[in-house]
Amino acid sequence: MTDRERASFTAICPDCNERKGTETPNEILGFYRRHRNLTGHDIEWEFVDHESIPTSAANEGLKAIVLELDETFDNGVPLALVTAAMGEQGYSIGETMAELRELRMTGHVWEPKDDHVSAF
Amino acid sequence: MTRWNDGTDRVEAVSPDITDETNALPAEYFTDPNAYEMEKEKIFSRYWVYAGHANCIPETGDFFTRTVGDKQIIVLRDNENDVRAFYNVCAHRGSKIVEDTPMTEPGSMSRIQCPYHLWTYDLDGDLSTTPKSFEEASLNPDLADEEVAKLDDDGNSLLEVSTDRIGPLVFVNFDTDPMPFEEQAGKMATELESLPLGDYQHAARFVSEVECNWKTFGGNYSECDHCQANHQDWIEGIQLDESELEVNDYHWVLHYTHEEDVDDELRIHDEHEAKFYYLWPNFTVNMYGTADGYGTYIIDPIDESRFQLIADYFFETSEMTREELEFVRTSRQLQEEDFELVERQYEGLKSGALAQAQLGPNEHTLHKFHRLAQEAYNA
Repeated sequence: MTDRERASFTAICPDCNERKGTETPNEILGFYRRHRNLTGHDIEWEFVDHESIPTSAANEGLKAIVLELDETFDNGVPLALVTAAMGEQGYSIGETMAELRELRMTGHVWEPKDDHVSAF
Repeated sequence: MTRWNDGTDRVEAVSPDITDETNALPAEYFTDPNAYEMEKEKIFSRYWVYAGHANCIPETGDFFTRTVGDKQIIVLRDNENDVRAFYNVCAHRGSKIVEDTPMTEPGSMSRIQCPYHLWTYDLDGDLSTTPKSFEEASLNPDLADEEVAKLDDDGNSLLEVSTDRIGPLVFVNFDTDPMPFEEQAGKMATELESLPLGDYQHAARFVSEVECNWKTFGGNYSECDHCQANHQDWIEGIQLDESELEVNDYHWVLHYTHEEDVDDELRIHDEHEAKFYYLWPNFTVNMYGTADGYGTYIIDPIDESRFQLIADYFFETSEMTREELEFVRTSRQLQEEDFELVERQYEGLKSGALAQAQLGPNEHTLHKFHRLAQEAYNA
């Protein structure tokens, strides 16, 4: 087992199998953005080890997920954890980011600080 | 002599003489965050860097974006069929104009339009049109419409970045008065331009993130003393003892001779060898001895301790044959083996124990690499 596979947060590009492991969840977002910038590929979560992520496929909506996670954090939910929670329901990071943009543009979600979100 | 960080702080600049004790770049330039900040200006803003492949934007208006350090450019094909590059920044109030667009999924546009206030540019970068609100002063009671000067098309054009090419390989330079491209590319350009690089199509791109300084990987690429111990599959059929390391002003070439049973038909070039070109600062062209195609690497820094290896492969058609897929798989294996080596090396460098390394007498390509870095820092 490599260091990357042991990491608490691991994401993978299904198109070219590039994998990123990190101990900092939002670093996965950086990976997603850099990889998408250079290849156009979407990224999927592979493994998340964080107590706040619900692992049951409850099929909650994105806003409900943000509201639920927001109770655990003081100044917004790290955006990557939102994408990880949605990943449990089968959404890729790109799909979650697109849906999140819609919520932000319609005023349902805001960023108390960079790459952290809260919901109204 | 290796210089440990024993508190005596005796590091010196890279000596031009490889036999001197101080023949390597001091370790701090690999690990200090300020070093990468300096490199963004002194290296990546002053030397020619690879932007992408012209075959990916064959039609007028086709474009992709490329980010180098903090700068992003639009690389596009204009109405004259030339490939040009502009900062992805509107002349109006500095808005980013187009979304990030990878070379592998290029966009197309008839004109360049900023979505913020709809300033619109021709493909040569000249300002073409602005909305009426920039031609009249209806909301400003202190100005009459006739007092509003027409915007000068040339004076408000996009900021262009110098470009040059080796066949389909497009290079850019952010310096306002760049060194001639021929000076940097030297005979590498002459050699590659004699090959039909443009006849080959982009077939695959792999992007890997690696936990080490970009120069660590660049150094690893520039020598093959580690190959015998670490690339068992790759060295099959290669006569390492007949390798030649050729050093030029801003590039170096690693020549590897193949054994007799390699099929001569299976390569883009005629010579009985593989050639790996490293062009300072962070670009390689890989002329394989066992495949009818070629590859390129961009060794793109993310910060001082991480880089992306952007590996592109070009074959006769964009659809790879089974043999080509297998070839790429082997190449990826080679990369992964190297990633382990350079990450391991970087863990050691990060410990701070080493102040200045010691290069061997046959690591003259690496010595050149370190000297170019030192020269850039001192410039």
